[in-house]
Amino acid sequence: MTGGGDEGDSVRDEFVAEAQEIIEALSRDLLLLDHGQKEGNPDPDLVNSVFRGVHTLKGIAGMFGFADLGEVAHVLEDLLDQLRLGRVELTQEVLDVLFEGVEVLQRLLSAGPEAPEADLDGFRGAVQAVLDLGEEAPSDFGAYDLDTGVLSVLTEYEEHRLRTNIDQGVPLYRLRVRFGLTSIDSDLEELKARAKPIAEIITYLPSMEGGDDDSIDLEVLLASRVDVAELRDALCTASDAELEPVGSRGAGASGHTMTPPPPDEPTTSHPPASPPAAPKRAEERTGAPPAPPRDVGADSLSVRSVAKTVRVDIGKLDHLMNVVGELAIIRSGVGRVLDRVRGNPEFRALATELHRIHRGFERHLDDLQDGILDVRMVPLGQTFDRLARAVRQVSREHGKDVRLQVSGADTEVDKLIVEELTDPLLHIIRNAIDHGIETSSDREAAGKPATGTLALNAYQKGNHVVIEVEDDGSGMDAERILASAVERGAITVEAGEEMQRPEKLGLIFLPGVSTAEAITDLSGRGVGMDVVKTHIARLGGVVDVHSELGIGTKFTITLPITLAIISALVVRVAGRTYCIPLTVVQEALVLDPASVRRVEGHEVITLRGATLPICRLDGLFGLQQPAGASPKEYVVVTSLGQRRLGLVVQGLEGQQDIIIKPLGKTLSDVKGFAGATDLGDQRVVLVLDAPSLLEEVLAGPEVRAAGLGATS
Amino acid sequence: MSGSGITRRDTVVPAAPSRSKEPARGHATRDFLAFGLAGERFALPLAAVREILKVAPITEVPRARPHVLGILSVRGRITTVMDLRRRLRMAPAGDDDKQRRILLVDGGQEVVGLLVDEVYQVYRLHEEEMELAAVVAGDLSEYVFGIGRPGTLDEEVEVERDEILILLDPEPLLKR
Repeated sequence: MTGGGDEGDSVRDEFVAEAQEIIEALSRDLLLLDHGQKEGNPDPDLVNSVFRGVHTLKGIAGMFGFADLGEVAHVLEDLLDQLRLGRVELTQEVLDVLFEGVEVLQRLLSAGPEAPEADLDGFRGAVQAVLDLGEEAPSDFGAYDLDTGVLSVLTEYEEHRLRTNIDQGVPLYRLRVRFGLTSIDSDLEELKARAKPIAEIITYLPSMEGGDDDSIDLEVLLASRVDVAELRDALCTASDAELEPVGSRGAGASGHTMTPPPPDEPTTSHPPASPPAAPKRAEERTGAPPAPPRDVGADSLSVRSVAKTVRVDIGKLDHLMNVVGELAIIRSGVGRVLDRVRGNPEFRALATELHRIHRGFERHLDDLQDGILDVRMVPLGQTFDRLARAVRQVSREHGKDVRLQVSGADTEVDKLIVEELTDPLLHIIRNAIDHGIETSSDREAAGKPATGTLALNAYQKGNHVVIEVEDDGSGMDAERILASAVERGAITVEAGEEMQRPEKLGLIFLPGVSTAEAITDLSGRGVGMDVVKTHIARLGGVVDVHSELGIGTKFTITLPITLAIISALVVRVAGRTYCIPLTVVQEALVLDPASVRRVEGHEVITLRGATLPICRLDGLFGLQQPAGASPKEYVVVTSLGQRRLGLVVQGLEGQQDIIIKPLGKTLSDVKGFAGATDLGDQRVVLVLDAPSLLEEVLAGPEVRAAGLGATS
Repeated sequence: MSGSGITRRDTVVPAAPSRSKEPARGHATRDFLAFGLAGERFALPLAAVREILKVAPITEVPRARPHVLGILSVRGRITTVMDLRRRLRMAPAGDDDKQRRILLVDGGQEVVGLLVDEVYQVYRLHEEEMELAAVVAGDLSEYVFGIGRPGTLDEEVEVERDEILILLDPEPLLKR
């Protein structure tokens, strides 16, 4: 009925996915450029790569009716072209505009082609402003002993690169090599690859002299800080290759050959390319060890471009996972048949054979499952890149000097989790920069380094991934949080008095609780921390906070690696079967009814000297015990961070790998279940959401009431 | 909207053609699936009914609202099942009734199973055979969108006048 429309949609989805990838790559490259610019050696290849990305985006945006997107890409392309050719200098201001451009692209892409025409004038104005800063740089290489023949055929871009290298005092070399006519393409590529880590090839031309019918001499102009001998070793692999430095025509080039800078030179952060500047910079560099000419950015770029990848809709993977689930059910069916065949001595040989086949099937099924899970995994790096962009932006907005330290970007997490992680992490980071990290002057006054540090660490811990966001800012005031919570009526004064510091800090995850001094603080920290917690909890994770006044704050998010499959303990409660994720189970033991005591309304038992609160699931769920049930009960000890809770059940049925499937929206108001699963024997079984049970049972009635108040 | 959207598994529904006349005279028609509930006749738009299932064991969900019977796996997908009697605030059904069926109904947000007493047939109703709720009475529940009177257009056939259908709107019906 809507076949044509669907097809159009899928093609457009494809475009959106591709555009998203390009935008992410742009943002990654810009961050590398930003880094390079701060270090003083931005990689020209990165500018090229950004230029190419924007160019591609412009092309495909037009085809899919994203007119605004194409327009912005076009404006950006112009700016990048000027940058590439050196007519505009790469400064923080220009980077700001480029970053803004990427934001605008992202926004337009999310809005879709039907969105009302966006107001792009502001952005166009910003681009124009930086374009106006640009000016024609001098174009005379008289100071160098360069062949005018070569100079006259330089492209604008090559000319710019040549000038930049001269400005930075990078020595120039002329390399003459002979290539066979038949292999010139591959030989040239090989030469470029060899030169890449140590030198920049500015241009190459067929030489006027030399060469014969089968070969051709190439004259290569290159710039390098590596010394001649090393360069010769690396590049002159063929015996007939010659390398010679390009000499200066008379040292201390006098100004007369170069155009003086225009008098109305606008203020840029870089010294302009004027004659006095160039030799001075060269002098500064003499004696210093040669700087590494390339950073890793260029290499990772080339890796990316050859990567063989396929984009897959996650729904398709879910479907495959369902099929694996069905196969697992078939497997246990075969297992049951096998048991019956085994029981019959007549069929012993048959049983052995069936057993072997069954084992093989099982092994391959496990492989298949692992394979599908592996496909779902993506590194956190993508998310971290987005966050790095946000850090840069937010810290500039707030006039804070913040350095971002990232570790563990290659830690892999389920794609679905990664998608859902950006928002909560962004929120924490915004808060850290806005409220945590102090201004440079405050920091110096407090004896801290002027630049604040925000650390983003990820690592795998068993079946979980831990993500930490740590700042070295002013820390959180537990008393103020408490006061705010009391003021909001989230807890009573008395309850607050009994709280330990970590518990008080934990109050920031309640709706409306804030660390801000007064309600006048509009951005108010805490507004939304409850949202962060809900977000993370929905992913089956937990978030904790540690903070020391004056030293800093650390948020720790612990997440399951995948949502798709978990090990679970199968238990029976009042004749019904439930699963408890094994990740939260510490141990299970027989309940001794005589050992149960009541403390403050909770039933507790003593386990190896420590008090353990317990919860009777049949009571909590309002289930009737079937008649004639065995009085024997068990305690499953679950834990979440430091907190523990014993769940009282009537039977333990063993351990099983299960695929958690979500409950429908109709049941979203039912607390305490993470989902449901098909056990092999056609039974649908609910999976307990241990963290939320722990929360529900252990939280005081006040907190519970506050939580309910927020959801209604 | 043809009836092709309906797939049957373990079904015993006679997809009998409507007793009304062929869709002639340029009138708009809609197909409805009629079913019984505590002696009354109800109908849902056929386009919203995905499947009709025999009653299978349902896993109860503690602490869900009373009209939620529990969950069921339909080819690997966890599906919530509601007791339509309780949803419509009617007396609960007796226990063993072999005629009971679960209708898988698309309520826009998700596909939900509805337990009904028995399934009758598909009716094709002409515009004239439907009275919209707003016309009938103002105080009907939001999930009743009208009354259907199949056969009123047909002068030749003797129509049992008590054969009226209460037409249900799946979206408000299945919303939490």
